[in-house]
Amino acid sequence: MSRGPLLFKDIDTPGLAALETYRAGGGYETLAEALGKRSPDECIEIVKASGLRGRGGAGFPTGLKWSFVPKQTTKPKYLVCNADESEPGTFKDRELMEKNPHLLIEGIILSAWAIQANTGYIYLRGEFDYIQRILDRAIADARTAGLIGANVLGTAFRFERYTHLGAGAYICGEETALLSSLEGYRGQPRLKPPFPAVEGLYACPTVVNNTETLMNVPHILKHGAAWYRQWGTEKSAGTKILSVSGRVKRPGNYEVPLGLPLSTLLDEHCGGMRDGLAIKAVIPGGSSVPPLPASMLSTGLDYESMNAAGTFLGSGGVIVIDDQTCLVDALWNITRFYEHESCGKCTPCREGTYWMSEVLERLEHGHGRESDIGLLEDVADNILGKSFCALGDAAAMPVQGFIQHFRAEFEYHVAHRRCMVNRRSAEIESRWGEAVRA
Amino acid sequence: MSATCRVRIDDHAIEVPAGTLVTDAARMAETHIPIFCSHQKLPPLGACRICVVEIGTPKRERDGKPVLGPDGEPVIAWMPKPQTACTTTVSDGMVVATRSPGAVKARQGVMEFLLVNHPLDCPVCDEGGECQLQDLAFAFGHDFSRMDEAKRTFVSEDLGPVVKKEANRCIVCMRCVRYCDEIMGDDALTAHQRGVHTEISSFDRQPLECEQCGNCIEVCPVGALTALPYRFKARPWDLRQHVTICPSCSNGCSVRLGVRGMEILRARGTEHRGVNQEYLCVHGRFGYEFVQSAERLSAPLVRAGGALAPASFDEAVALAATHLRAIAGAHGPGAIAFLGGETLNLEEQYLLQKLARAVLGTPHVDARTRFTAKVPGAALLRATGGGRPLVSFDEARGAREALVLFDDLQGESPFAQAVLIQGQHQRGLHLTVAHARRVKLARPKFGGDWLAVKPGGELALLHGLTRAALEAGGPEAPPPELAAARPALEASLAPWTAEAVERASGVSYAAIRAAAARLRSAQRKLVLFGRAVAEHPQAVALLQAIEHLGWVTGALTAERSFVMYLGPRNNSQGALDMGLTPDCLPGYVPVADAARRKPFEQQWGAALAPAPGMTAPEILAAAADGRVRALWIAGDDWLRSAPDRALAMRALETADLVIVSDLFLTETAKHAHVVFPASAFAEKEGVVVNCERRLQRSARALSPRRGSRPDWEIIQSVARALGAAWSYRTVEDVYREIARLTPGYQGTSYATLLPLGPQWSSPGAPAVAAALTPVAAPGAPAGRADGLSLLSGATLFLNDTVADRGTLLPKLAKAARAFLHPAEARSLGLGEGDRVELAGPGGRIELPVAIDDAVPEGSVFVPHAHPGVQLNRLGAPQGAGLRVAARRSGVAEKVGA
Amino acid sequence: MSAPVVSIESAAPPLEWPAARRAEVDDALSHYPLRRSAVLPILWIAQREWGWISPAALRLVARTLELPEPEVFGIATFYTMFNLKPIGRHHLQVCMTLSCSLMGADRLFSHLESKLGIGHGETTPDGRFTLRRVECLAACGGGPCLQAGLEYHEHLDEAKVDALLEKLK
Repeated sequence: MSRGPLLFKDIDTPGLAALETYRAGGGYETLAEALGKRSPDECIEIVKASGLRGRGGAGFPTGLKWSFVPKQTTKPKYLVCNADESEPGTFKDRELMEKNPHLLIEGIILSAWAIQANTGYIYLRGEFDYIQRILDRAIADARTAGLIGANVLGTAFRFERYTHLGAGAYICGEETALLSSLEGYRGQPRLKPPFPAVEGLYACPTVVNNTETLMNVPHILKHGAAWYRQWGTEKSAGTKILSVSGRVKRPGNYEVPLGLPLSTLLDEHCGGMRDGLAIKAVIPGGSSVPPLPASMLSTGLDYESMNAAGTFLGSGGVIVIDDQTCLVDALWNITRFYEHESCGKCTPCREGTYWMSEVLERLEHGHGRESDIGLLEDVADNILGKSFCALGDAAAMPVQGFIQHFRAEFEYHVAHRRCMVNRRSAEIESRWGEAVRA
Repeated sequence: MSATCRVRIDDHAIEVPAGTLVTDAARMAETHIPIFCSHQKLPPLGACRICVVEIGTPKRERDGKPVLGPDGEPVIAWMPKPQTACTTTVSDGMVVATRSPGAVKARQGVMEFLLVNHPLDCPVCDEGGECQLQDLAFAFGHDFSRMDEAKRTFVSEDLGPVVKKEANRCIVCMRCVRYCDEIMGDDALTAHQRGVHTEISSFDRQPLECEQCGNCIEVCPVGALTALPYRFKARPWDLRQHVTICPSCSNGCSVRLGVRGMEILRARGTEHRGVNQEYLCVHGRFGYEFVQSAERLSAPLVRAGGALAPASFDEAVALAATHLRAIAGAHGPGAIAFLGGETLNLEEQYLLQKLARAVLGTPHVDARTRFTAKVPGAALLRATGGGRPLVSFDEARGAREALVLFDDLQGESPFAQAVLIQGQHQRGLHLTVAHARRVKLARPKFGGDWLAVKPGGELALLHGLTRAALEAGGPEAPPPELAAARPALEASLAPWTAEAVERASGVSYAAIRAAAARLRSAQRKLVLFGRAVAEHPQAVALLQAIEHLGWVTGALTAERSFVMYLGPRNNSQGALDMGLTPDCLPGYVPVADAARRKPFEQQWGAALAPAPGMTAPEILAAAADGRVRALWIAGDDWLRSAPDRALAMRALETADLVIVSDLFLTETAKHAHVVFPASAFAEKEGVVVNCERRLQRSARALSPRRGSRPDWEIIQSVARALGAAWSYRTVEDVYREIARLTPGYQGTSYATLLPLGPQWSSPGAPAVAAALTPVAAPGAPAGRADGLSLLSGATLFLNDTVADRGTLLPKLAKAARAFLHPAEARSLGLGEGDRVELAGPGGRIELPVAIDDAVPEGSVFVPHAHPGVQLNRLGAPQGAGLRVAARRSGVAEKVGA
Repeated sequence: MSAPVVSIESAAPPLEWPAARRAEVDDALSHYPLRRSAVLPILWIAQREWGWISPAALRLVARTLELPEPEVFGIATFYTMFNLKPIGRHHLQVCMTLSCSLMGADRLFSHLESKLGIGHGETTPDGRFTLRRVECLAACGGGPCLQAGLEYHEHLDEAKVDALLEKLK
C-alpha cells in the first residue's frame, strides 16, 4: 500500500536504494529532460509556481530562495543539502535517505542545475554514519552511470557532490552554522546579511535546502507546478511528511497533503492513542514550536493554519503528549535540550537556556515558587527575538507556549510540590521487568 | 547612495558617512550604546547583544518617496525585533532608539543574562573599578538578582607566565580569541566546549604558545583575563595614570603607566589613543621593570685611584668639564667624540650635539654605535624619500602590498608586525618577506611570499628587484627626473643578470620578478627595512639600492605608500633628525652648507666646522689608536653595541677620559672616568620621534630615581661648567629652540605634541635624479666559503634595550642558544642542547645548540640581544657579513664570561 | 619557530597517520577547496583509528590541516560525538529527549545503569561499555532508542536491551 502521494509513494519498494530499481521506476528521467530542454531559469520558475516551501522548518519559498542567487558572478556556486535532521521529533529525512537516496541525488542535481552550481555537499548529522554509506554508494553508482561528473548525462553541465558528516551539534541545522561547520569552523551561526544565496559557503553564492525539499524537486519538474498544487492549500502547496512520535498506536512518518487536520493525522493515520491514554497536547512542528492543547486538534497541518493557532508547522515533527505526562517534566526535557545545544555564541541563548533549565529542574523536583512561572515567562521573553539566531527563539517559544496553555498544571506543581499526573504509566513499566516483578 | 546619511539617535540628529555602524554613529552623537564583543580593530560579531536598540527607517511609497505623517514628518517603520547596533550600518533617515521601553527591556535582559553565571566577585577581581561589566551593571542592571540557581563554574588557570584566567567571569565576547588571531597572528587562544560551558583557553589547557603580549588581557572587558604580574597589586583608583611613549622600539607606542607612589605597577594601551591604541607588545606591557630596578645608579661615580667612587653631582660635573677642557686644549676639540643618544628624548639629543659642536667644537658626533659602515646621516632619510610625508600605521593597514626587507619584525618592531598581520587578515594586504630565516611573518599562514635570501645576498636581491621592476616598465607615473637618470641606472644594472642575481641572492629570479611586479602594480605599497640594512657592512650600497627600488616601483612616489626605516631604538629617528650624525646638523642641514649652517651658528654663537666629523665606526677605530682621547657616551652600552668588542675595549682603555650617562653601571660605564646616573623614560618628559616620523610627547609618570637626573640637565650642567650661557629651565625651552631652527620642525609646538602628534615631513626633499646613481657590478662569484654565515637580530623577548634588565623578559627568553638547521647540526655532529663553539675573526663564543628548521643551512642564528651572549666578541662583520667557524665544544665553560 | 619563544616540547614523539589511513585523509582533503573544511572528516578518521582523539591526535590533525592546534581543539570540543577521553569498546548512547522520554527512556537508562553498574559518562571496569545520555537521535518514532557506537537500536524494551548487551562483547 502506498504511504503517500509523492515522496512516500514507492518508498517501501524493495531495493529502491539501488540505481537500477530507481531508474526502473522512471528515476533520473526528469534530470535527462531538464538538462536537455529546460533552462535553469525555467526550472526556477516552475518551482516558484509550484509553491514549494522549505521543509526544514522555516517554510521559505524554495523558488524564491533560488532566485536570489546572482546570475552574473565569477565565483563558484554551491548547493548544500541540509540533512542535519536534528529537530527533536523529526525523523523523516533519515527514512527518505535510507530508502530512496537516488531521489535526493536527482533532486540535488536538478536544483544545482537550476542555480548553476557545480558542487554540492550533503551535510549529514554525525549519527547518520550509515546513511552516509548509503549515499556514498548511491553517489558512486550515479557517477559510474554518468549522472555526476564532468559531463552530467553527456551534457556540458559539470557537477560534483560530496557527503559531509557532522559530529553532534543541533545548531548545525541552522543554515549559516551549517556553513561554518562545513568550512571547518566551530558550528556557530553567522551574521545575516549577507545571506548565503549571495555569500554562503566560502563566501560564494550558496543555496541550502532541506532534504525533503530537494526530494520534491524531481516530482515538480516532472509533472509541473499545477500538478503539484493538487495537494495542499493555496499558500501551502503540496505534501508534507510528518514524523509522529509519542504514545500513539502507530508512530512513524506520514506523507499527507498540507492542510490536513491534525486530528485526522492522529486518529486515522496513526490509529489514535494507545489504550487508556488521551491526548493532552501536541507539539506540531518539532520541539521548537509552542504546543497545541487537545482542544485545538482540528487545526490544519499547513503553515498558515498553524500560525493562526499560535504555533508553527516547523519541521513536521509531531510529538503527541498524553495525559499521563507531566508537562513541567516535558518542558524541562525540552529546555534541557536547548541548553545542551546552545552554541554559546550569544548571551541570551547561552545564559537564558541554562537559567530556564535550572528553574524547571527545581520546579519539577518540587521546589517551585510562585514567582517561578512569571520568571520563566519573562526570561523566555528576554530571549525571544534578542538572540543571534533562531535557536534562542526555539528555546523560548515552548516555554511561553506550555505556560500559556497549561498554566494550571504549572501552578499545581508549585502549590503541591509534585506532578499533577503520574508520569510513568504501567504500560512503560511493564516493558521493563522490574515493575512487573515487583 | 549618498556619501552621508542623516540619522537620528534618540534626540540627536547627526550626519555620518554611509557605511557607519550604528554604534559608531552613536559615539559621534555622544549617545552611549554599551558594547562588549565589538572592538575597534575587529569586524562586527553581534554576539553579546548588549548593544540592542530599536531601529526604524522611513516608510516609503512604491516610488521610494518617504510616506509623510499628518505632522509632515516621515512615518517610521520600526523593525519588529530589537537590533544589534554593532552590526547594523546606518541608512538615510534611520531612527535609532536607545532609551525606548523596548530597547531598555532588551538591554536589561541581556545585562541580567550576563550576570547569570558571573561570580560577582568584584571585591577580589583585578578588573574591579575599570570593568565594563561592572559599569554597565551599575548603569543598566537590577539592584537585585532573580537568578538564585547554582552557577556553572570553571576552575581558574594560569595560561603561562603572564595570563591569569578566571573563566567564571568570562562573558564569551571572543575579543581575546579574535585579537590573538587577527591582530597578533598567534591563534593561541580558542573557545572550547559550547553553550554555557564555553570556555576560553589554550590548546589542551597548556601554557599559551604565543608572543605573551597580554593584548588578550587588554581587550578583555571583564576580569576573565588578568595580568599575573599585576595580580592583587592594586585597585585601579589607587593608581595615577600617565601616558608615556614606550622606550622599547621605534614604533612609538603610547603606554599608559599605572603608578602608585614611586612604583610602576602596570602598563596598558588605551583604546582610541596613540598609534597603537590598545596594542602593546610584551616589551611595552611588561618591560617597565627596569625603571624600578635596585641596580639603578643613584649617585654620580668618578674614577679615583683606579676605582669608581660615588661623588656629588657638582663634583662630577666639574671633573668632566675640567678634563674635557684640558683635552680640547691639549689635543684640539677633534680629540673629543660623542657617541650614543638614540634612546634620549629629542631635546636631549639636540643638546648633546650642541654641546659637542657649539661648546666644545668637535664635529665627531654619532648616535649609531651599532653601525659597521660609514653611513651618512642623510642616507637613511634619502632611502625613505628625503622627508616625503610618511603614511601612518593606521593607513598602512589598507595597503595592498608590503615588502619587509631583512628584519624579523617580531623582535625589532612588534607593532609594525601587528599592523601588517591585521592588514593581511582583514584587508587583504599581501606580504613579501625577504629574510634568510623563515620568520613569523614569512610563515605560510599569512599567505605571503617568502624570499629566502642567502646571507650576504641582500644587495643582489635588491638589485634584482630593481632590475625586474624596470623590466616591467618602472613606476606607473614616473617623475620627470627619473627618465633622465634611468638609462645610466639600467646600464649599471646590466651586469646583474637574472643568473647573477640568483647566484648571489639564492632567490629564484621568477620569485624576484613576481615580487617586483606586485610591488610595482599595487596601488598602495609599503617597504619596510631596519637595522639589518643599517648595520650591514654594505649599508651604504643597500640604502642606495632601497632608494632605487623605491623610485622604480613607485613606493616613494605613489599615493599613500611609503618606504619606512625602522630604527633600532625608540628615538633613532630623533637622533637622525637632531643631527646626532657627523654630516648633518639638526634637520639634515649639511654641515658643509655654509648658508644653511648660518642660523645655527648665530643661535649657538659659535663657528661650526664645515667638514663632517667621524662616523661611529671611525670613532671606534680612532679611539682605539689614541686619536680620540675623550668619549662622551650617552645611554649606550658601547661594549655591547659596538660591532667589534675587542676594539671597543681597547678604545675605552686607551681613552684619557670616558664620560658615560646611563641608568645602570653597564660594562661600558665600568670603564668610565665619570658616570652620570640618568633618569629613565618614565621619569622625565620630552619628545620622541617614531619610525612614522611622528612627534610624540612622553609624559613624566614619576619622579626621577633619587640621585638621577635627566640627560638634558646633565648635558646643560656640563655645558655651563664649560662656560656656555645655557639657561633652559624646562625641556620645552629646548624644544622651542629646536622648532625655531630645524627644517621640518618649524611651526610645531611642544604643547600640542601629545601622543599621536603630527608626522613631520620636509618640503625640501633631495632631488630625485641625484639619487639614481649607477650601482657597482657584481663581484666575482665567491668560491665555497668556509664556516657558517652568522645571522643575528632581535628576538621576541630580548631586543637589547634596558628592558632586558627586568625579570620577566629574560625569564621568557630562556637561556641563550645558537640556532642551527637540523641538517647543519647533523653535519656538525651536534644535537639539541649540545654546546657549539663559534669562532670569528675577533674571538670566540660558546653556546648551547637549538635545532630550528627556520634557520637556513650554512648559517647559524644567534639572537644578538641576549645578556648571556657577547656576539661582538666574534669581531665586526665585513663585506657581505660575518662568517664563523663552528665546532662541537667539549668543554662546558661559562658562556661569554 | 623563528626565535626562542616559550614552547612546550612534548615528551612523546609526534603521532603520524598509519599508512592505511593516509588515503582516507587525502580523499577527505580532496573534497573541499579549502583544506580546513576537512577537519570533521579527519577528526572522524582519527577517532575511527584510535577510538578516541588524544591531544597528540589533535596535534596531528592540526598539522595535517595546517591549522593552529588551539583551533582544532576548539572545534573538536564543540561537537559532542568526538571522544576526547578514552572510552569503552561499545559506546551506548541513550536518547533522553522528549519523544523517547515519553516512551520510557529514563527507564531504559536506569535499566542500563543497574545492569552495567555505571552511570552517565562512565566506563565499565572491563572497558567494554561506556554509557552516556544523549540528545535526540532522529529516531523519535522508534523510541526509546540508543546508538551503540554508530548503530541504531530502536523500540527497545528490557528483553531487547539485554539481548543487545549480550551480543556486544
